[in-house]
Amino acid sequence: MAERKLLLEHAHDPAYATLDGYLAKGGYAGLKKALAGERQAVIDEIKASGLRGRGGAGFPTWIKWNGITKDKKGPHYLICNADEGEPGTFKDKQLLEQTPFLLVEGMTIAAWATQSDRGYVYIRGEFVDAARALRKAIDQAYAAGYLGKNIQGSGMDFDLYIHLGAGSYECGEESALMSSLMGERGMPRLKFPHVPLPTVAGLWEKPTIINNVETYSCAPFILANGGEEYAKLGASTKNSRGTKLFSVSGHVNKPGNYEIEFGTTLMELLDMAGGMKGGALKACVPGGSSVPIINAEDCGRAVLAYEEMSEVKSMVGSGGCMFLNEHTCIVSFIWRTSLFYANESCGKCTPCREGTKWMEQILRRIVMGNGQPGDVETLKEICSQIDGRSFCGLGDAAAWPVAAALRVFPEEFEFYIKHGRSMVTSGESVAMAPAWQQAVLA
Amino acid sequence: MAAAVSTETVNITVNDIELVVPKGELVVEAVKRLGLEIPIFCYHPRLKPVGMCRMCLVEVGFKQPDGTVRKMPKPQAGCTLPVSEGMAVYTDTDAVKRDRKGVLEFLLANHPLDCPICDRGGECPLQNNTLAYGPSTSRFVEMKRHLPKAYPLSQYVTLDLERCIQCGRCVRFTEEISGDSQLAFRFRGASMQPSTFQLTDFESKFSGNVIEICPVGALTSAKYRFRARPWDLQTSPGICTVTPCGTNIWFDHRSGKFVRVNGRTNEGVNEEWTCDRTKFGHDFYNAADRLATPFRRDGEAFNAASWSEASQAVLAAFADGGEGVAVLVSPTLSNESLFMTQRLVRDTFKTNNIDFRPSGGLAWSERLENKYGLDPVGGTIADLEHAGSILVFGASLADEQPMTFLRVRKAWFSHGARVVVAHEVATEADSFADVVLRYNPGSAAVVAAGLRQLLAKVEGKFTPEHVESVSGVPADKLRAAAASLGENGAVVTTRRLAKPAAEILAVAAHETGRTFLHMGPHANTEGAAALGALPDTLPGGVKAETAGLDTKGILDAAAAGKLKALWLVGVDAFSLGDRDLVSRALENVETLVVTDYRPTESAEYASWLLPLALPAEQDGTYTSSERRVQHMGAILQAPGEARAQWQVAQELAARSGAAPVFSTSEVRSLIDSVAPDYASLTMAKVIDGGELLPRRGQSPHDLEKLAQTLGGL
Repeated sequence: MAERKLLLEHAHDPAYATLDGYLAKGGYAGLKKALAGERQAVIDEIKASGLRGRGGAGFPTWIKWNGITKDKKGPHYLICNADEGEPGTFKDKQLLEQTPFLLVEGMTIAAWATQSDRGYVYIRGEFVDAARALRKAIDQAYAAGYLGKNIQGSGMDFDLYIHLGAGSYECGEESALMSSLMGERGMPRLKFPHVPLPTVAGLWEKPTIINNVETYSCAPFILANGGEEYAKLGASTKNSRGTKLFSVSGHVNKPGNYEIEFGTTLMELLDMAGGMKGGALKACVPGGSSVPIINAEDCGRAVLAYEEMSEVKSMVGSGGCMFLNEHTCIVSFIWRTSLFYANESCGKCTPCREGTKWMEQILRRIVMGNGQPGDVETLKEICSQIDGRSFCGLGDAAAWPVAAALRVFPEEFEFYIKHGRSMVTSGESVAMAPAWQQAVLA
Repeated sequence: MAAAVSTETVNITVNDIELVVPKGELVVEAVKRLGLEIPIFCYHPRLKPVGMCRMCLVEVGFKQPDGTVRKMPKPQAGCTLPVSEGMAVYTDTDAVKRDRKGVLEFLLANHPLDCPICDRGGECPLQNNTLAYGPSTSRFVEMKRHLPKAYPLSQYVTLDLERCIQCGRCVRFTEEISGDSQLAFRFRGASMQPSTFQLTDFESKFSGNVIEICPVGALTSAKYRFRARPWDLQTSPGICTVTPCGTNIWFDHRSGKFVRVNGRTNEGVNEEWTCDRTKFGHDFYNAADRLATPFRRDGEAFNAASWSEASQAVLAAFADGGEGVAVLVSPTLSNESLFMTQRLVRDTFKTNNIDFRPSGGLAWSERLENKYGLDPVGGTIADLEHAGSILVFGASLADEQPMTFLRVRKAWFSHGARVVVAHEVATEADSFADVVLRYNPGSAAVVAAGLRQLLAKVEGKFTPEHVESVSGVPADKLRAAAASLGENGAVVTTRRLAKPAAEILAVAAHETGRTFLHMGPHANTEGAAALGALPDTLPGGVKAETAGLDTKGILDAAAAGKLKALWLVGVDAFSLGDRDLVSRALENVETLVVTDYRPTESAEYASWLLPLALPAEQDGTYTSSERRVQHMGAILQAPGEARAQWQVAQELAARSGAAPVFSTSEVRSLIDSVAPDYASLTMAKVIDGGELLPRRGQSPHDLEKLAQTLGGL
């Protein structure tokens, strides 16, 4: 299958980031349809479309939207998670910069469906350009009556705010994001069944919807063209509908964002990205740095869809697809990944706080040539002691890549520990972080 | 402070044992009903659960219609999970044991394991949980975290950052209980550490509590650090006598020397907390200059003398002294000492010149209970927790009544009580007050009258506008305060508040059906007042036929040379204020006897210096500011020949022909014979948690006097 552009269709047209350009390409048709009908009809369309959360977890979007009480008593909030921090993922950045009106319209549709008063777009602090682009879009939308009071004469009020994060990966976790948005330390909060769902008591204990940029951006198409039209895409898969953006990076000739229909194979995606560079395919991390790594053989049979990816013991995740060529040292790669998680652990719970640091210490020691017999077993144990035991998903996300690498490429670790050097000795390897960055991280 | 627990019950199973528990109870609490324990670090029953440490992971499942149990895929934190119908909890499976080992291995990875020199060694939850649930070895061979070992958070609290296991109990304590929010986490991940904002001093009136709730030896007491091993200490239940709250404490001592204070649980008084005065303010037991024997002045020098000589000398100067002698007593002495002293003064010295109040004080007929028939202390500290609204008037509670402050704050924090604070200066309670009334110094009574008018819905000249013109409190704010206080609740103030304001508040509280607490400033103010350490009041609150001199009168008379002999019992006269008057008084009195635990400034003028045993060195009872009578036994031995004041008083009385009294229980029988309030107490209850003196509940009379008071403002 080839690229199938729903969201990125006009992305490279600078005019599309302006209201006029957006309207010229049929923008706001979805909102007009939504406002003309019942609120529940919107949720029904989303249900029919089979849209699932694009942030990584793949939770059916309509269930969230439907979970907000119809009997509105106080404010309802809408949050857009634009704190895109997963290494290898950069799709939201492009959406915010080039198609900001898809997000604005999508959030307005969601606000209509859930009777929300306010929306907050929590943008990763480093995404200054993205925030500026969205700011311009929001300003234009306000000026033209697409945001604010009495939107397009419908009687609906909706205000949209931008909040820039302060540089914590953890704040992309939805409850930590809410803590951060409320002015607290960016630490995750208790979740269901320990406390009610965010749709019951989220931001400031009020009903709250939180979705990813890409999820909201799908809503205009679904409303304009109907959920069933959207659901036709990806019909070959078990339960994944529509299109998905994959951020392809690594040893490929044409890295970038590629929008594909669910059911496209990983190898097709690699072809879109111009094929491998500098050597044959060795491994792929298909959905952002936290998902399990797969080897070339599994790459050959991987189908990009939520359920199908589990057949190769990996995940679609957030779509950060990193291809690694044969000259990549997996041990170094995994050490670098674990360094990221050790640095980004918020410190709240014991397994993640201590475990990520410990894993990084062991991997660093191995990479420096001081590996010891038993290190692999210890790493495996640590992974199992973190996975599922941590407070939030960050611990799991830190454990999966290490556990998977140990499972898929055990010989590389054994070789490195035995000989004090990498199995891979030539060619282009994964670039180390620049010296200044290493100094900061150390 | 667990999740809301309702009266509704649910059926759960714990390790396949069926159990009916209140809906919403946390799993970690529910299993205790079976005598089971789930190990914890971050969880504390009085703090909001956070689920940080993951020590309490258990397997949880739900009963399916076919009777099987479907387990949740991940283990769950028992400290945050409320029970629900059909829940099946497993605390003892192999998976749970493995998880516990894992968490402990993580916690110990960077823990310094300097247990041999750690204050917590021997009473450390980390040690205990490791022994019970931990791995026997560690696989951690990397470099441990190295951080400051003795970071001084404040002059009292020293933080060992290496030992910290980041459970957040201390952070949550300052946010949820003391409310000063002094501590927070800085940095993240493995570098996360508790800290004050911008590394300023940890300024809190309750900082000592974080040392006790710390599950490891990270937060240590600067005073106790490295001074003892816990198993070498003896501990005895005690009562704090440096604050008026009657805080229950564990009094730790070793080889007859006081070592440290820890909070002791008493749900009615302090729950389990202490204020820093209690926690760090007991060092005087070890004062280097403790008096151990009576001293007689010979010219410029003090020479040791025997009690027999001292008794004869005191009797020679005081017996049948009548108007020419006087005694000032400390309101921190025990009920027994105060009672025996006033009996000696009245029966043997033949005078009513006795007072415990530092300055002034109200005459018998001016006191609330006698003038209006109103209880000055009509409620209890524990009652405040469920008061819908609380007016804190003219008091800095965190300083004056720390445990009352914590309860008022808890009423707001946990039960949503509306708090109104009225004071001349900013106080800690302002931070959570619904309305703050900041009035001009000296205008308390006008504000009180204005509030009364609004609360009791009566007409009068104290309209909000009039109040504003006098006190500077905006009229709108006064109205907002009255609206916030609603129809019922409590009024809290202290004896520092001048008379008309307190009277008006008492009447207003009575008129609107509110609980009124007019709290005294010292450990036994209530006992001293009830047991007759007053010039115009006999034990049991009976009015004396002829009033003696009060503190001011005594000092004036002494300065004028009208007093032959003055006895200061536990009182340093120079702490009473007017230093000029005091030095003239002490110079002009012929015989000055000073009884104290160490030489005070007044002692320099003394003819006789008598050694006093401190509260923990004698058996005695104390009446706290909420009129709770509590008991403290003799924990330490008094130094040398130092004696309890009741013993000194009884010996003098016996030498003058009174029947000897051999024990404090005999003294208590004597008290019971004249003070009906005390006679109604049961000693077993007094010892076990304390017993409240009966509320008078008299019907108020003479309310028209209030009109005169109000008119005269």
